[in-house]
Amino acid sequence: MEPSDNELVQRVRDGDDDAFRLLVERHSRSIFRSAFRITGNAADADDVVQEAFLRSYRAMASFDARATFTTWLHRIAINCALDLIDSRKRRDQRINDGEDLSLLVSRDATPDRIVLGSEMQHAIAKAMAELTGNERTAFVLRHFEGVPLEEIGQILGTKLNATKNTVFRAVKKLRQQLQPFTGSLV
Amino acid sequence: MSTHFSEDEFVLAYYSEPGLGERREHLDACEQCRAELASMATVLDQVTPIEVPELDENYESRVWDRVSWRLRGEQKQKKTRRYEWLAAAAMIAIAFTGGLLIRNDKPVRVANTPSATAIETAASSTQQQRDRILLVVVGDHFDDSERMLIELTNLTPDEDVDVSTERERATELLASNRLYRSTAQSRGEDRVATLLDELEPVLMQIAHGPSQMTPDELRKIQKRVESKGLVFKLRVLRADVRATSVPHLQQQPNI
Repeated sequence: MEPSDNELVQRVRDGDDDAFRLLVERHSRSIFRSAFRITGNAADADDVVQEAFLRSYRAMASFDARATFTTWLHRIAINCALDLIDSRKRRDQRINDGEDLSLLVSRDATPDRIVLGSEMQHAIAKAMAELTGNERTAFVLRHFEGVPLEEIGQILGTKLNATKNTVFRAVKKLRQQLQPFTGSLV
Repeated sequence: MSTHFSEDEFVLAYYSEPGLGERREHLDACEQCRAELASMATVLDQVTPIEVPELDENYESRVWDRVSWRLRGEQKQKKTRRYEWLAAAAMIAIAFTGGLLIRNDKPVRVANTPSATAIETAASSTQQQRDRILLVVVGDHFDDSERMLIELTNLTPDEDVDVSTERERATELLASNRLYRSTAQSRGEDRVATLLDELEPVLMQIAHGPSQMTPDELRKIQKRVESKGLVFKLRVLRADVRATSVPHLQQQPNI
């Protein structure tokens, strides 16, 4: 039987690096997926995965076994992604100017998307890129991952009202940018 | 009839979040609000989940390779810092002892006492110890510098690159580099001093450069490292330094 995450954490605390390897191998894909949805870029997501594991290793002593390791690790990864977004403002500027935009949106060729065409995709990507790191993360978690607002607050370390406001702002900004493409009024 | 939904309430309704309470009844009854909610849904429904790229089957082991490599680097850095403290402490102790010896040194008495040989032996021994300490810490310094430069030269200059980690490491290395260079010069370790001298401006350029490099900036620094053959030189001299220092260390395990 495979050891649980908490057992592995204990072994890491006792100095067993092999146990940490198992944790890395067990969680790296799911961390990559979350990181990619926030950063919108595979290379950045890769950096986030690496940084999240390094931070988790350094902070292993402070891990509270009452929480699940997965939630704790995801929280670290999301914070890494936010730090990375902050440090990449210059590139975000380039994204705003129209480069790499396709990376931020789905390439699902649904009939709706085909009708909306590249102009809509471009607008979605631009609107997403214009959100702040917190707004984008909160929106991604709520909209794509279906995480309830309360849990998003726990991940971002914000109170429920502040979390709600972050999501509200994100939705408002997206609507303002995208409404013209859907033909209805704000 | 209660007031119409605010925009925030529409968001809560769209995501079926709790907290609307009795306001839901208004939504059921108000055609205008339902239309507005539908309008919001039309927009938000367009924002579909981002397609995550497929990862190859070796992804996990590649992540582990990189993570473990960086952890080893960090542990090594900690060890180097410990050596630096030890070296500094040893040098202070040696200087202090040397000072005491010089103060007590009276030519007539020294010439006539058998302990003169012992003093000479002690001086020679402390000299060797200092040389050994220098070689050990310089070997680690070369190793760290080589790793950082390899990381930097392996980056692809096709977009802006975050080099904040390398920059941070270059700043730390630069401080040690200055100390080792002047020590190596004063100890007559010419090869070591020359390489440290070549390394210093490159470390300075990285340490004082931006944490986010444009492809052009990255290309320039990569070219500089490559044209000087720094990585190769560091590797060769590191091996030489290790070969020289290790046998001494084996004789003196307490250092």
